[in-house]
Amino acid sequence: MPNSILPRRQFLKSAVAGSVVFPGIVQQLFAEQDGTFTNRASHFPAKAKRVIFLFMTGGVSHVDTFDPKPALMRDHGKEIKADHPEIKDRPGYERIYLKRPQWEFKNYGESGTAVSTLFPHVATCVDDIAMIRSMHTSHSNHYNATLGMHTGSFSFARPSLGSWTSYGLGTLNDNLPSFVVIAPKQTYAGTQVYSNDFLPGVHQGTLVVPGAEPIANITPRVSLERQQLELSALNAFNRSHQESRQDSVLTARMRSFETAFGMQMAVPDAFDFKQETAATLDNYDLQPGQTTGFGWQCLAARRLIERGVRFVELIDTGSSGNWDAHGDMMSHVSLAKNVDRPIAGLLKDLKQRGMLEDTLVVWTTEFGRTPFNNTADAKGREHHPWAFTSWMAGAGVKPGIVHGATDEHGLRAVEKPVHVHDFHATILYLMGFDHEKLTYRHAGRDYRLTDVSGHVAQDILS
Amino acid sequence: MKNRWLWISTIVFFCIRPEISADEVFFESKVRPLLVKHCYKCHRGKTTEGGLALDSRLGWQKGGDSGPAIVPGKPEESLLMTAVNGSNPDLQMPPGDADDKLNDGELEILKQWIAAGAFDPRTMTEELEGMSLDEAKSWWAFQPLPQVEMRASSEPIDALIDQVLALQQITATSRADKRTLIRRVTYDLTGLPPTPEQVQAFLSDDSPDAFSKVVDRLLDSPQYGVKWGRHWLDVVRYADTAGENTDRPLPHAWRYRNWVFDAFNRDLPYDQFVSLQIAGDRLRQNASATEQNEGVIATGYLAIARRFGHDIDQDIHLMHEDVIDNLGKSFLGLTISCARCHDHKYDPISAKDYYALYGIFQSTRFPFPGCEAKGQPRDLVPLIAGIEQTLIANNIQQRLDLEAKAQSQISESSKRLSQSKVAEGGSVLLAADQSENLQQVRVRKGEVLLLKVLPNEGHGADTTLVEWEITEVEGNRSWNLSAVIPTLLHGNPNVSENGTWCFLYFTDGRPRFLTEKYPTVEQRSELQSWSTGETPSVLVNRSDQDVGVWTKLPPTSFFVHPGPKDPVGIAWIAPVDTVVNVTGRVADAHPSGLDGVTFELSHVTSPEVGGFLLALGEIGAVPGSESGSIVPVAYAVVEGSPQNASLHQRGDPEKPGDVVPRSWLSMFGGEPISTETGSGREDLAEWITQHPLFARVMVNRIWQGHFVQGLSTTPNDFGSRGNRPTQLQLLNWLAAQFQANGYSIKAMHRLILNSQAYQRSCQQEMALVEEDVINRYLSRFERRRLSAEEIRDSLLFVAQRLDLSIDGAHPFPPESSWKFTQHDPFNAVYESNRRSAYLMVQRQRRHPYLALFDGADPNSSTATRQVTTVPTQALYFFNDPFFHSQAAAFAINLKSLQSDEQRINNAFQKLYQREPTMTEMERTVHFLQEYPGNFDEKWSALIRVLMASNEFLYLD
Repeated sequence: MPNSILPRRQFLKSAVAGSVVFPGIVQQLFAEQDGTFTNRASHFPAKAKRVIFLFMTGGVSHVDTFDPKPALMRDHGKEIKADHPEIKDRPGYERIYLKRPQWEFKNYGESGTAVSTLFPHVATCVDDIAMIRSMHTSHSNHYNATLGMHTGSFSFARPSLGSWTSYGLGTLNDNLPSFVVIAPKQTYAGTQVYSNDFLPGVHQGTLVVPGAEPIANITPRVSLERQQLELSALNAFNRSHQESRQDSVLTARMRSFETAFGMQMAVPDAFDFKQETAATLDNYDLQPGQTTGFGWQCLAARRLIERGVRFVELIDTGSSGNWDAHGDMMSHVSLAKNVDRPIAGLLKDLKQRGMLEDTLVVWTTEFGRTPFNNTADAKGREHHPWAFTSWMAGAGVKPGIVHGATDEHGLRAVEKPVHVHDFHATILYLMGFDHEKLTYRHAGRDYRLTDVSGHVAQDILS
Repeated sequence: MKNRWLWISTIVFFCIRPEISADEVFFESKVRPLLVKHCYKCHRGKTTEGGLALDSRLGWQKGGDSGPAIVPGKPEESLLMTAVNGSNPDLQMPPGDADDKLNDGELEILKQWIAAGAFDPRTMTEELEGMSLDEAKSWWAFQPLPQVEMRASSEPIDALIDQVLALQQITATSRADKRTLIRRVTYDLTGLPPTPEQVQAFLSDDSPDAFSKVVDRLLDSPQYGVKWGRHWLDVVRYADTAGENTDRPLPHAWRYRNWVFDAFNRDLPYDQFVSLQIAGDRLRQNASATEQNEGVIATGYLAIARRFGHDIDQDIHLMHEDVIDNLGKSFLGLTISCARCHDHKYDPISAKDYYALYGIFQSTRFPFPGCEAKGQPRDLVPLIAGIEQTLIANNIQQRLDLEAKAQSQISESSKRLSQSKVAEGGSVLLAADQSENLQQVRVRKGEVLLLKVLPNEGHGADTTLVEWEITEVEGNRSWNLSAVIPTLLHGNPNVSENGTWCFLYFTDGRPRFLTEKYPTVEQRSELQSWSTGETPSVLVNRSDQDVGVWTKLPPTSFFVHPGPKDPVGIAWIAPVDTVVNVTGRVADAHPSGLDGVTFELSHVTSPEVGGFLLALGEIGAVPGSESGSIVPVAYAVVEGSPQNASLHQRGDPEKPGDVVPRSWLSMFGGEPISTETGSGREDLAEWITQHPLFARVMVNRIWQGHFVQGLSTTPNDFGSRGNRPTQLQLLNWLAAQFQANGYSIKAMHRLILNSQAYQRSCQQEMALVEEDVINRYLSRFERRRLSAEEIRDSLLFVAQRLDLSIDGAHPFPPESSWKFTQHDPFNAVYESNRRSAYLMVQRQRRHPYLALFDGADPNSSTATRQVTTVPTQALYFFNDPFFHSQAAAFAINLKSLQSDEQRINNAFQKLYQREPTMTEMERTVHFLQEYPGNFDEKWSALIRVLMASNEFLYLD
């Protein structure tokens, strides 16, 4: 909204950021003034100061996990007709039949939200969760749907949600990046899912791969004492170089070395769980000394947001060996087991520490799985963009509710449908941003995460 | 220390808002937001509801269909008030939801505003307003270039710049010192640092043209083409992978990359350089073999467009968009692709214009890089290896002619012998329906017996067994299809004493040869096939065993797979006039719940048809999809079938609108293409290279390559959203010179580099910087960080490890082994000591090093690289193994020198092109004393420090 008294920073952003003068220089500019690229003025009060985004790769079956469908159980084997993108012109799919869920659902908590036996631990947290059973997306391919869930664009490379968040909120810790992705493997669409694309480079997701060297070049190759000597010599050379060159860019670069030096300690510190109690580790289903697994990712996420990281994304697997259960739905068992206790542990840990109040936890996948197949006895399910379930918990989210619904067989999101763009608009809203106004001028156009669509799902806001 | 950036804010701020009145504050804080919220949706811009625009003062003064909307001072007489307060039941605004109505507070604001005189600072329509066709006629960037005399002297450049500086009362900096200059120009032209010897030679050359001599020497260096070619590759978003869901490698794209480097080195005139990239195959069709090859390779520019999706063909409109987007930006500085879904919002480019160009590319055959849904690459373009090859371009025309001839013969002279449906799992004799027809068939030499296998109901890919024997009634000869099995891959047509067999498929009735040869299928060497994409194909099991793949294939058997729409055909060409009996069967070999196939056996009773097919086969066999192919191929385009495109309504190819004839942009005249038989790419090349934007956009890029910023700071957008150059006259003069000198890029370098403006120092008194904060007036030289490639090349160079030789193809895995899927896409990083411009860049996964240091975006045109400073870059200088390794190599090279002083001197000369100062010498000696460890450790550490320093990383 235009204001006569724009905050100077904000003005600078709009005047300089959009490649009007010096593309790419903006962050040095801010870096120089504030020591970091901090808060952009938000559009309304933010509920969420940070986000943990849990992404289940491959397409989790909604009807087997969080969307109970008694009618699907009842009508198992019944032939249906559907103009579905996955079966169009596909040999062998001239006729399709409903296929029953393989897992029982039970009601949990005071809210009584039903969850299947695949997620017994997350089930104990339903009173903190807003379950969105009416999600839908625009593509039935992994690549496109994954890209869409991350960037709002189903084909082109665009900045990811985490980058937009970083751009909007900045970081609170100079020694750590503002957007971190913890993933054992690359998922569909590769690095594009956490790319800053045209946003300034400082907003790119920093990849953490659980294991020996979680961030590239984070491990000192010489002792810190030696490195300290090198750093002071470097500073001395840079200072004399700068004497006759008054240039904030040069200063910013000097500062980046101090930050990097700090990161070498801050990052291992964030990933050092020695101070965590046995109870906490157990809560995340972690053994002492364990440095991989989704439990490790979840605890690392909590420790990163504690240290001021704005957006942490956890990806459970990679572009293969994931939830893509064409062959046999039973693969959902081990995948669910891998994440169920850690996720519940994370929610409980955040809540106990009072962090859930200003931390938004988002759980999602790229699409659901078909409630049907070409034979009723088919063991697997196909890609299903028409409907799936995601959930949110924490900051600003109404706890213990179910939002929207699919039809009786889980085929279509019929009640209060939430498209990926709506989902993004809602997440941005919780962070204090109007998704139509959080824009960035690139190639002559103002781009935003939600492209030209998106409505905030008001009903899930507390 | 004061921050020079603070001034940007102050200055820009005051330029825009000299002072703010109370009226304006009220308008900006209360009224404008209200109008934006409730009215702009419909009443803004050129096409407004009821003709009323509320986004400018003029808009409401003029009013809409019902007259002026506001009477200043009189809210009760203002139509706008009546409409929004609901007092007139016929005019209720905003329409629709009650949520959207103005609340009482808002009504009061509006009333107050109008009552107070409706102060409205919006004298011009909003920035977002587009440019009209009329406005385009006077738009600065579209004006004809001035007539100029060709000049070899740079004086006019300085005269124009100095004139503006004088007007602004800004003092320019003095000339940079020679050491700074040679470092600057060597990096600018070659991307490498000068050697200490080159620096010394320049320092000791006192002649007035010493600097021009350096410029000439550098322009003659082959490293020049690598550096400037890389600038071009940024603009055309070059990559070595396709970008579709599996990010398939493009093993032949490197030829285009190398051609670009070479074109810069030999100063290929820019108009030719561009024309060849658009239509080199056509423009060089009558030239020498070398030139023809060059023309084909140059169209690699079009070929490297990004591919999208799981099945590229289904998202082909996105590839076309990528082509048009890049073409507009690269050559013309126009964002044409904005008009894909609707008319361009800002520039007078209509969706019709977009589809007029679209048709040109739809009439062009792009190479197919392979994708998960459709297998391996095809449609690569063979290069001429020797004189025995027919001309490629003629080939295409010839092929189209032959296809048409064979098609008409087949449709006009065919006599059906037999036809039957083969049910799922069924087996049907060829003679099943009309057996007498297959006895005593009289054939003449050159006539054809044709067995077509068609899918039913559009299902393809049904594995279908074919047995077929043709036996002479009176002679003792016979021809059996099974005899071809062991030698299937010897050729298509397959010619031997077993007869002449052609393996065809039919697209829209046109016979085409299956041209892709697969020595293995599903990694089974017993299986071989000819195909086009995954299907249609013919397939043999040449072993004497069953082979279990998707189904069990019996020993020594011949199969066909029709495509979903394309029947497969096997043609036998009669070698003599004779009478034959025909026997055999067609059987479904893969019962999979489908509805089987249909076969048709016919006799084409024209003795010419065999000849046509053989001729077609000879030119139709496009080699190159196999890595072992003898004839080199290029990832390039050729002519396709000429056709106009339908407009895609709202950009959706599923919603075709009117057919749009292929033509040039309507704002530039809208000339139609001049050919009925071609795509129109030659016309397009002509239109583009003749337009004044063409020279303006490129000289701006050349300028930017030397001055960090272009004269226009939006090098890819010279439209209404672009940035009008401060020094427009200079841009125009340069563009005119460029045209006058025959588009010699090297001549432009000379002109620019020999100017005083280029040779100015970066160092400016702060007070003077304030005069020209963003250096729009060119009063000083703009400091810049080295690019990703320059950093890496320099590290290798100073360590004496840089391999300056030209690189060729990347070590991709062989195509026959590709099994990439979206679950397991191609992913590799290839190490090399060659120049970084040769590094393999992937679209889906950024090269980790290039991404870290702001390398070009391989997915869209990078006109200006970002320059970011992030701690992860500093981590690279602390801990990266490659960086450490170069420092260690440098240190080892220093060992042979006599003293520490010499070593330090040498390091400073190589890295900074100067001697160390006394203080630096002392500091360095002290560092070496203090730093623990042996010689190698100490010196490696020192070199790391020097290589991580700002002086090394920044160019003054």
